[in-house]
Amino acid sequence: MAENLLEVNNLKTYFFTRSGVVKAVDDISFVMKPGETLGVVGESGCGKSVTALSVMRLVTTPPGKIVGGEIVLSGENILEKSKDELTDIRGSKMSMIFQDPMSSLNPVFNIGFQIAETVKRHRKGISNDQAWKRAVEMLDLVRISDAKRRAKNFPHEFSGGMRQRVMIAIALACNPQLLIADEPTTALDVTIQAQVLELINGLSKEFGTAVMLITHDLGVVAGTCKYVNVMYAGHIVESAPVKQIFESPAHPYTVGLLASIPRLDGNRGEKLTPISGQPPDLGKEIIGCPYAPRCPRVQARCREERPTLQSTGHGDQVVACFYPY
Amino acid sequence: MDTKDKNPELSSPGVMFPDSSITPLEVDELMRPIDGVMRGIPLAEPGVEPDIEKAPLRKKSQTPLQESLRRLGRDKRAMASVGLIIFFILLAIVGPPIYQHIGGLYQSPINGPVGPSVYHSPFHQELTNQDLSFSSMYWLGTDDLGRDLLARLMQGILISLTVALLVEIVDVGLGVLVGVLAGYYGGWIDQVLARVTDIIFAFPGLLFAIMLTGIFGTEADVVFAPIPLIGANGDARLILVSLALALTVWPLMARFVRGQTLSLKEQQFVEAARTSGSSNAKIIFRHIVPNVFSIVIVASTLNISNTIIGEAGLSLLGLGVQTPGSSIGLMIAQGENNITGFPWEVLLPTIVLTIIVLSFSFLGDGLNDAFNPRSKD
Amino acid sequence: MVQFLIKRFIGLIFVVVGVTFITFILGYFAPGDPIRDLLGTHYNLQTYLALKHAYGLDLPWYTQYLRFLGNLFRFQFGYSFQYQNRSVASILAEGVPVSAELAFWALIIQVGVGVPLGIVSALRANTWIDTVNMGVMLVFFALPVFVLAVFVQVFIVWIDQHTGASWPVSQWGNAWQYTPTDISYKLAPILVFAAGGAAFFARLTRASMLEVLRQDYVRTARAKGLTERAVIYRHALRNGLIPLLTVVGLALGTLVTGAFFIENVFNIPGIGYETIISIGTRDYPVIQATVVLLAVGVVVGNLLADIFYSLADPRIKIQ
Repeated sequence: MAENLLEVNNLKTYFFTRSGVVKAVDDISFVMKPGETLGVVGESGCGKSVTALSVMRLVTTPPGKIVGGEIVLSGENILEKSKDELTDIRGSKMSMIFQDPMSSLNPVFNIGFQIAETVKRHRKGISNDQAWKRAVEMLDLVRISDAKRRAKNFPHEFSGGMRQRVMIAIALACNPQLLIADEPTTALDVTIQAQVLELINGLSKEFGTAVMLITHDLGVVAGTCKYVNVMYAGHIVESAPVKQIFESPAHPYTVGLLASIPRLDGNRGEKLTPISGQPPDLGKEIIGCPYAPRCPRVQARCREERPTLQSTGHGDQVVACFYPY
Repeated sequence: MDTKDKNPELSSPGVMFPDSSITPLEVDELMRPIDGVMRGIPLAEPGVEPDIEKAPLRKKSQTPLQESLRRLGRDKRAMASVGLIIFFILLAIVGPPIYQHIGGLYQSPINGPVGPSVYHSPFHQELTNQDLSFSSMYWLGTDDLGRDLLARLMQGILISLTVALLVEIVDVGLGVLVGVLAGYYGGWIDQVLARVTDIIFAFPGLLFAIMLTGIFGTEADVVFAPIPLIGANGDARLILVSLALALTVWPLMARFVRGQTLSLKEQQFVEAARTSGSSNAKIIFRHIVPNVFSIVIVASTLNISNTIIGEAGLSLLGLGVQTPGSSIGLMIAQGENNITGFPWEVLLPTIVLTIIVLSFSFLGDGLNDAFNPRSKD
Repeated sequence: MVQFLIKRFIGLIFVVVGVTFITFILGYFAPGDPIRDLLGTHYNLQTYLALKHAYGLDLPWYTQYLRFLGNLFRFQFGYSFQYQNRSVASILAEGVPVSAELAFWALIIQVGVGVPLGIVSALRANTWIDTVNMGVMLVFFALPVFVLAVFVQVFIVWIDQHTGASWPVSQWGNAWQYTPTDISYKLAPILVFAAGGAAFFARLTRASMLEVLRQDYVRTARAKGLTERAVIYRHALRNGLIPLLTVVGLALGTLVTGAFFIENVFNIPGIGYETIISIGTRDYPVIQATVVLLAVGVVVGNLLADIFYSLADPRIKIQ
């Protein structure tokens, strides 16, 4: 059995604000195998982005802080690394791309430079020429046409979709083992979304890069991921292979999410059923299951005890619920 | 794309005046590239007021103005500044009459027996009492002509505040008038405003005011002397100084107002008024003018600081109020002559000036924060 | 680019015309009769008329203005009213090197000290270093330059009295020379002059850097594994310093006005000082020349700043 590429154990990331402590990520654990694509799904505020930032240790401190747990990448505990060691790891062993490509690129440097910069940083002794060549190579790879010439252009001369590709080029330039993509397509047009996702998928297969794809859109997950973590209020409430998530979802929240997606093959006139209520205030203490206030299957036990991830009995699927479907 | 167009606030009152180009407004406010619009000024839109504070739900809803004033009330620095300003205003107005009743009869070798209404007057010279330090008779000492420093200080404050008031009246009057018209109608009014602004801005700092007061100063002394209260005792130049300073700053106010008008014009409530048949004049007066209120208040308060500095500066150069009149700037200039002997002569007006200027600056800052609340970095 | 320059140049001409016209008109309507003052007790009609003619003061105002303008372009500023036979240019020529030296060093300190202080404050935002730094900067920023000058003078006098030193409180040494005596004259005025501007730059840089450090591309730079040094000094700084260019006009403006005060308080014989004296003696040609020179200088400075700004920020397309 292949070694786990990434192991996250009991990760807790809290934000210490003036109005109190916000438990953005409250004790989550999951693993990723090399080359695997993991989808992390949930509403805004569920902790998926914070999870990603925690793995990269890019959480803004203060006010955020990783207060507990382990993050083990290829056998090394990220949380014990020094600042210098971290800068070696970021960009070369693991990379991240962000949601808004319009603002993620530095406007005063041309894109060739911004890619070459990563290469120069992580490949010792490489010359400027070679780094630039690699940059152009990467631009080709992400299908920017006329790469050689366009490498000299500035970010504002590219469209949103192309800028995201540039981000991907930067992220993959040093062949990392893990690529974290935080809502990479949310800010893009629907048609471009498909292209970018396809690109990420294709490149990940070609280079064996594992991908942690963060999104609030279940549709995005369907085509690209092997496994899915469903997050709610800072916890993972369900985790399963993608097929099972769609065919036999176990957690009421997952079910609710699926029911609220409009389907082309649904019945005409069928109403969309949104999940009623609001996600809980993470600054307050939550007793029992965080989903209890909105759950159609809620029982007394749910309000008193917090459920932990248990196997449903179907393959790798685990769910944190006392009364799963 | 003129530099000033990018950041009109940066060419704000300050450019016209020495050093502190901009009063201590958070510089990052000024950094926002704007087309003359100060962002975030809450408008009198019905009921749309972001509630930044986690205040308990109030039964009675408050107008944005009341909310802003409440916010201002919580700003300690601003409140302290208001207190100081009120203190100085009272000092300048009520101080002299009171002071002139304090003290006993004094046997002056030159002027015979004189009461406090004489020797505590800012204009009276007691040449045997030159450059005295603090005493029970002269609370803050005397200057090189035997004049009571406290009296002169109070007079100086009065002059400074009067000039500031006059300047702001013109500044706001002209600025709002031209600014609203330029913003609302655009066209040639706007063009003319832009040209005039460019030219006035081209005169760096106080240069225009220096030139104006320098050339016409002595004439103004003569021409305005007959005006009661203001014209006497070398104060006649007040009018000219105020005019000069006002001319230097009104284009900026007009720019601010214009910018705000432009953005207001596009707002839906103006469109609504138009479609319901309001005439242009009505729209301007009832909708636009009240809403530029907040930007005008903030800008003019901050400008007062600059005006006071400017007036002091002009007086320092000998271009402002002339002796026997008293102005803070003039006192500083005169005190300079006696630095070695009695440094308080120069330090006193300097300190007072600093306090007054800072008070208005902090108040302006506070008003700005009150009208556009944002979380501090 | 060329189109932009042409457009700005036309604007510049317009402004110069406006400025010169206003300056001229003020001089034209100035009270008093300078020729009469000149002649004093030697007044007689013929000499009066002859002199008036020599100075061109008997021509209609528009002709006078055109002559004024024409002369300006040839850098002929006419002759001083007060010092007969001395050209205004020669009077200015004495003051310019002094003022230039004062302004030069002041500017260097303002930028050279202010900007780094601002960067330090931004990097250590909200720590005690930042609070103290910004507190001090606030004080220097808010104090008018002549107030600071006065305080410093009082301070120097106090030192002189208590230590027997003879640190001068006024006058300037020799222009552009730096013997210890020269330095003793120049140090205080330059520092006082620079203080306000340095504070301004410090606050501006701090604000700008803080804004930049919040940006997504800084986060990207960190995600790339760049060292913190590279993130700050390559990515953040490049963007953070650009807005400083937009305030060059402001800085020039305050430099000019500040010079008037510094020169007056410290008795430094620069053009500001000369101008104030000229005001006292109604020597209008000198006043006009100085005003025009300074105004045009600032406008040109602004234009240059705009050009640099567009060069520095690739997002700006010159139209």
